[in-house]
Amino acid sequence: MTNSNQSLNNQLENPRNKRFAIWFLVIGFIGFVDAVYLTTNHFLGIELNCGILKGCEQVTTSVYASVWGIPVALLGLIYYLFIILSSILYLDIKKELVLRFISRVTILGLIASLWFLFAQIFLIHALCTYCLISLITSSILFIIGVLFLKDNRAEKLR
Amino acid sequence: MEQNTEHTLTKKEKRELKRKEKEDVKNQKESKKSTKRIVMWVSAVLILGFVVFGMVRIISSSPAGNGETVSFPIYDSDWVKGNKNASTTLIEYSDFQCPACAVYYPLIAQVVKDLGSEIRFVYRHFPLQQHQNANLTARAAEAAGKQGKFWEMHDVIFENQTKWAENGGARDIFIGYAKDLKLNLDKFNNDIDSKEVNAKIDGDYKSGLSAGVNSTPSFFLNGVKIQNPRTYDEFKSIIEQSIGKSAQ
Repeated sequence: MTNSNQSLNNQLENPRNKRFAIWFLVIGFIGFVDAVYLTTNHFLGIELNCGILKGCEQVTTSVYASVWGIPVALLGLIYYLFIILSSILYLDIKKELVLRFISRVTILGLIASLWFLFAQIFLIHALCTYCLISLITSSILFIIGVLFLKDNRAEKLR
Repeated sequence: MEQNTEHTLTKKEKRELKRKEKEDVKNQKESKKSTKRIVMWVSAVLILGFVVFGMVRIISSSPAGNGETVSFPIYDSDWVKGNKNASTTLIEYSDFQCPACAVYYPLIAQVVKDLGSEIRFVYRHFPLQQHQNANLTARAAEAAGKQGKFWEMHDVIFENQTKWAENGGARDIFIGYAKDLKLNLDKFNNDIDSKEVNAKIDGDYKSGLSAGVNSTPSFFLNGVKIQNPRTYDEFKSIIEQSIGKSAQ
């Protein structure tokens, strides 16, 4: 009974949903690679020094590089990992709910990225390339999310 | 009558058989589907794990620096430790008030102890603007150097960094150190403010700027800037590699 229900669900599934899931997966993967780079750099490649523009106290305690003791890069890594795993989850169980959830979560990624952009420009006075890549991927994820929710709503009204 | 029931039974059986067959096909399809699912999840985990593993390996095995070079000549006025005629030269641009430089101080001391016969270590001043006592300490070390005790003062200053770093009366503290080192205090006091000492520090700072130094400590190995090593072992192996190269 449950099996037949599931296959019925699968047949009813909007074929475009799979494409949305794959886009989430691909962009999420790019963001993931970037975040892994930033995180490993944070833990392994951190340069211990005192800069001309900023004090070393600032660098070592690094107010903006971590939130509640968790490095921002690691938070990004967890975020992209979540996007990837939920996209695969959707491809597996084909529940629209999963895609709707991902789409809503992407706004958090975008807000976080915009805040760090603000912090880089106005507080740290330096831009880091890999953080900008993350801003781009999180923006694209957000756009995919918006497009999906729009498509989903239109489909329901039909 | 009996025959009839038998006949219906066989019909039933046939139906049953067909149903079973169908179920088997369905089951096969299901198991194919579940292997597909397993493959999907396992490959995802493998790919993600591979990315993390690869990145960790790449980053941890690339201590390569920023490639900037520093003017190679070592001047008579430079403070040199180790073997003065060694072909491997390690130059540090440092700020006495920089906490990171104080962290590297024991590492450098160990490097010079272990590899001092094969390298020459040069200390150059790069006092940062935001450190109120950085310039004063550099001058105090130079003034002690005028009486042949630069390295002794250098050591005392780093070892006691927390005591004078934010202290408005740091000069008196340094005079105290000079006393401990049995320096001529009048000469020390005069030299701290002398043009010569100021010019020496200024020269170091400018040579650092032109080499692209923008943070302290900055290390140059045979004129090439290296990324600050994270451990003593890493530091030692970078230098040993360089010694090996110059020996060839």
